[in-house]
Amino acid sequence: MNLMGLQGGQYQPLTQDQVKTIHGAALQILETTGITYETGLEATANMLEAAGARVNRDEKRICIPRDLIEASVAKAPEQVVLCGRDPKNDLNLTENRVHMGTGGGTIKILDPDTGEVRATTLQDLHDVSRLVDQLDNIHFLVRPCIPTDIDEKDYDINMFYTCLRGSGKHVMSGVNDEAGLHKVIEMASMIAGSKEKLQERPFISVITSFAISPLKLCTQSTLIMQEAIRNRIPVALSSAPMAGSTSPLTMAGTLAQLHAEELAGVTICQLTNPGAPLLYGGIPGMANLATMGYCGGAVECGMMNAAIHQLSEYIKVPNYNSSCLSDAKLPDAQAGYEKAFTAVLNAMGGSNYIHHAAGMLESMLAVAHEQFVIDDEIIGNACKVLKGIEVDEEHLALEVIDSVGPGGNFMTAPHTMSHIRSEYYNSNGVTDRKSRDRWEAEGSLDARQRALNIAKKLLANQKSYITEEVDQAIRDRFNIILPA
Amino acid sequence: MTDFSEIRECLVGLDDSRLPGLISRALDAGAAPADILNQGLIAAMDIVGERMENGEMFIPEVLMAAQSMSTGVDILKPLLGDEGGSDRGRVVIGTVQGDLHDIGKNLVAMMMESAGLAVHNLGVDITPEAFVAAVKEQDANILCLSALLTTTMPMMKQTVDAIVESGLRDKVKIMVGGAPVTQGFAEEIGADAFAPDAGSAAKQAKSLIS
Repeated sequence: MNLMGLQGGQYQPLTQDQVKTIHGAALQILETTGITYETGLEATANMLEAAGARVNRDEKRICIPRDLIEASVAKAPEQVVLCGRDPKNDLNLTENRVHMGTGGGTIKILDPDTGEVRATTLQDLHDVSRLVDQLDNIHFLVRPCIPTDIDEKDYDINMFYTCLRGSGKHVMSGVNDEAGLHKVIEMASMIAGSKEKLQERPFISVITSFAISPLKLCTQSTLIMQEAIRNRIPVALSSAPMAGSTSPLTMAGTLAQLHAEELAGVTICQLTNPGAPLLYGGIPGMANLATMGYCGGAVECGMMNAAIHQLSEYIKVPNYNSSCLSDAKLPDAQAGYEKAFTAVLNAMGGSNYIHHAAGMLESMLAVAHEQFVIDDEIIGNACKVLKGIEVDEEHLALEVIDSVGPGGNFMTAPHTMSHIRSEYYNSNGVTDRKSRDRWEAEGSLDARQRALNIAKKLLANQKSYITEEVDQAIRDRFNIILPA
Repeated sequence: MTDFSEIRECLVGLDDSRLPGLISRALDAGAAPADILNQGLIAAMDIVGERMENGEMFIPEVLMAAQSMSTGVDILKPLLGDEGGSDRGRVVIGTVQGDLHDIGKNLVAMMMESAGLAVHNLGVDITPEAFVAAVKEQDANILCLSALLTTTMPMMKQTVDAIVESGLRDKVKIMVGGAPVTQGFAEEIGADAFAPDAGSAAKQAKSLIS
């Protein structure tokens, strides 16, 4: 059952008037409060000034008039297709089409053999890439964990290499600097055959956390963002304020500030290279008010992420955001309900590229093999909701109701057979619906243990998505650490 | 030695339109009808039962396989003579008095038929006396009692008791099943076996009389 790219939009936490109000508030923020920057972005400030922005170099403050924003935003593509290595994994990001996948950057894993928390390695990154490749409801691979066992200077190329080798799905990740970006583009071009072929079917894309909330451009990430845009490699313009610490405590205030940050980012990109593909990357988050850390699993995260999609849809730019996180430390009941709530809310909101949606625990700090399997099931269920209920002659089934007749049963009706594998969601195997006797006979396994068993089976399937010849060429050119 | 794998695949794959042709071909090639039945059809239904237990096949699909199985049996029956029927188990099955649920019980009946047993299905709301009479009439060696309601489970014990009183207990094995029924309950009321689903019920029945 293919549940990728279905239309959401059934849940709209904001009315159209509220969307317009927040959009107007964001324009006002950029016009009057403006954004700030640091040394290193002078060229970017000059570019904005030349286009009509007011730049105060003493205060390092840039105010952007609304017509410049509106003109720039209009140049951003309404549709961005992020490709898989195989076209069946292509992501058509537009309208309310929903795709859900992994998110990035954890440094801990629950060891699949011992259950203990330990630091993530390059091998872990390869293993989870293999899991994502084989779990149908995880639609793309954002590099889920950091290989803490390799040198930082080898991160960029090795993270992309490892993901691209283990999985045929679209790969997205951040890079450390522009040089890293160039290397990654070069390697991906070797896999694609040429840079032109890569641009034609971009199976990689880049996340740049260009904004440091509130309203400040991050020098390094903004430079990377502009460089990717110049190369027409799709970029997610990530900005993730936390309500209560880096944005106002209230949801509306957080949405207005975040929308302003995104409008500024889109403007910079479209001035850099008009028409270049990008994703509106507003991720409204919440501070854990007890610790000021990131609060991942709150139901309001689901509400606000659905709302931010309404704002991106309003300006007709596909969006990237976040859901299906949990603050739980292991795949327990809390992980289940927190993830299910935000997953279904954001999917029904219609967000186009929902990352963080598989494998994560402890907010964004840990991954676990079994969690990828469980989240595959959660995503599948959330996306199934988007399919809705088909009401047509075939699905109304009047003919079979009549032929079975009062008092009969539908178990052997041909109508039953023709819909049996398509009308309802098919579990990946982690959901238990057996009798208690059978469940006990099979060891009384809970969902976590069942998921671990499934993950183990999937990891036994070995596969490389890079041909031997290309692999050798990449190894000759770069310092690839994962053994061949 | 004929290879019956195609017949098995056809049945397991729910490709029922091809089955009669495959059976005629096997007969033309000189295969014994009993071998087609045992190594083809019944072996295939064992696979179906296993897949059902693992949740890989849904009940309507199992029923479809059972239906094509009986189409196949109909073709073979005239050719089997006595060899197919003489040593088969004879089953009487019904839902106990006060209970009107029949879907689960019918599934068990179908799976048992597919496994090669002769099944006499009494229906629902069957009194202990009617069960006793049917066991006598059918010369049954297996009696299957079904109940879905916790409130009708005691009627299973009363039925077992009636069989004991009638003097038939030594001649017939008693199996019980239904959503609330457990192995422990089966033992408590003096039944011989319990099965949690239709596939394993058929398997159990065969092992009880072998």
